[in-house]
Amino acid sequence: MNGRLRALLRLFAVQGTWNYERMLGVGMGYAAEPLLEDLKAVDPVRHGEAVARSAEFFNCNPNLAGLALGATTRAEYEAVPGPQIVRLRTALCSPLGAMGDELFWAGLVPALVALALIGVVLGAGWWAIAGFVLTYNGIRLWTGYWSLRLGMQSGMRVGAAIGSSWLPRAIERVGPAAAFAVGVAIPVVAAWYLKPFGWSAGIGAAGVAMAGIALTRWFAPFLTTVRFALAAMIFLLILRRVGV
Amino acid sequence: MIELSPEIVIALLLWGTLVGLDLVSVPQAMISRPLVAGTVAGWLAGDVHAGLRVGVVFELFALDVLPVGAVRYPDYGPATVAAVAVGAGLPWQLGLGSSVVLGLALALLGGWSLQLVRRSNARAIQRRAAALAAGESNAIRRLQYGGLLRDAARGFSLTLVGVMLAILMRQHVRLDDQTHLALTLVGVGSALAAAANGAFRSSGRSARFKWLAAGAGTGVLLAALA
Repeated sequence: MNGRLRALLRLFAVQGTWNYERMLGVGMGYAAEPLLEDLKAVDPVRHGEAVARSAEFFNCNPNLAGLALGATTRAEYEAVPGPQIVRLRTALCSPLGAMGDELFWAGLVPALVALALIGVVLGAGWWAIAGFVLTYNGIRLWTGYWSLRLGMQSGMRVGAAIGSSWLPRAIERVGPAAAFAVGVAIPVVAAWYLKPFGWSAGIGAAGVAMAGIALTRWFAPFLTTVRFALAAMIFLLILRRVGV
Repeated sequence: MIELSPEIVIALLLWGTLVGLDLVSVPQAMISRPLVAGTVAGWLAGDVHAGLRVGVVFELFALDVLPVGAVRYPDYGPATVAAVAVGAGLPWQLGLGSSVVLGLALALLGGWSLQLVRRSNARAIQRRAAALAAGESNAIRRLQYGGLLRDAARGFSLTLVGVMLAILMRQHVRLDDQTHLALTLVGVGSALAAAANGAFRSSGRSARFKWLAAGAGTGVLLAALA
């Protein structure tokens, strides 16, 4: 197995040592190890410094971490001064975090989850779930491969390479798609659960939902929807206990 | 009612551990999404239908979570596995409410356990700070494997607590059917509130909101026709 493939596989565990001090730092160091191996024979001192730098503080969306990993690895082989590599890593944190979160957590994941929910409600069952898992992982695997390759190709010029890639355009498109899909999924799922109970029960559940939306907005951030749900259910059990 | 045999309990524990690891550490393949975790747990427990119903309701809660940066969020994966263990073999209208109660409590506990693991990772890094500064690859590898092991232990413990509580609930909690039904309705209503909150927050007042509204209109039409 070559170094790049090992690094790609290790990127799937880039959050394995997630913590509040270095965040993804140690995971990045773990993924960088196979890529930096050749440097050991060429320049052992530089290799030691590069390994130490690779495990320093870093944070971004895990699915785009390959861009930073590839770019900094290439910079190490090109003997770019250490402080400049550290600055590159620091500069990449925010944009890779924001773009990856927009693309994956606020776009692709809710869109695919919503499609899977609609599929389940319409009777697709396992197919809907398998479709979700396979599609997401296919896209993610390809993005990981692309990220690492682009990072390795562009080195210190990775910022410009990201700007001219498909990434910004994909982010623009995936957001509306996710909003539409989630918009469709919520009423479809609501009907799936509530139709068997009849109108009065449906109106009751809708009332709970409205109260939940309103109260969690007014009393945010203390009152989350999970806390609201637990409080409402405990309240219900107390009411039933006293005979209401 | 399905009996939760030792074989089923062991299978659920293994699945819950994998699901717990998947949330943050490895491989983030989305098997920790409640829809996936719940359906597979239902299949393991011998009731796929219950797994789907529980998975979908927790997926609605999970749509309210945006796992960005260092934000704290509930861990719905092992919670969903345990919730399925409560409702497996029961008519979903009666079992779903109790599943939601246990699952939500566990999800909060799971979120808290994530903080413990993260702090523990930080302490391990501090102990090896000198080796890291010296660029020792071995230190990085040990830290990484230690972090993965801690998270696996977290997922296992969380599922163990959840499945044990599920067994106790199945044996000792006796509620009348009306209360079960009411719990289910409150659980579903709260889950819908969570999903709507997540959707509103993501779309804000941007053009995305128009797409959300258009989707909701289409969804209402589809629900009426289905």
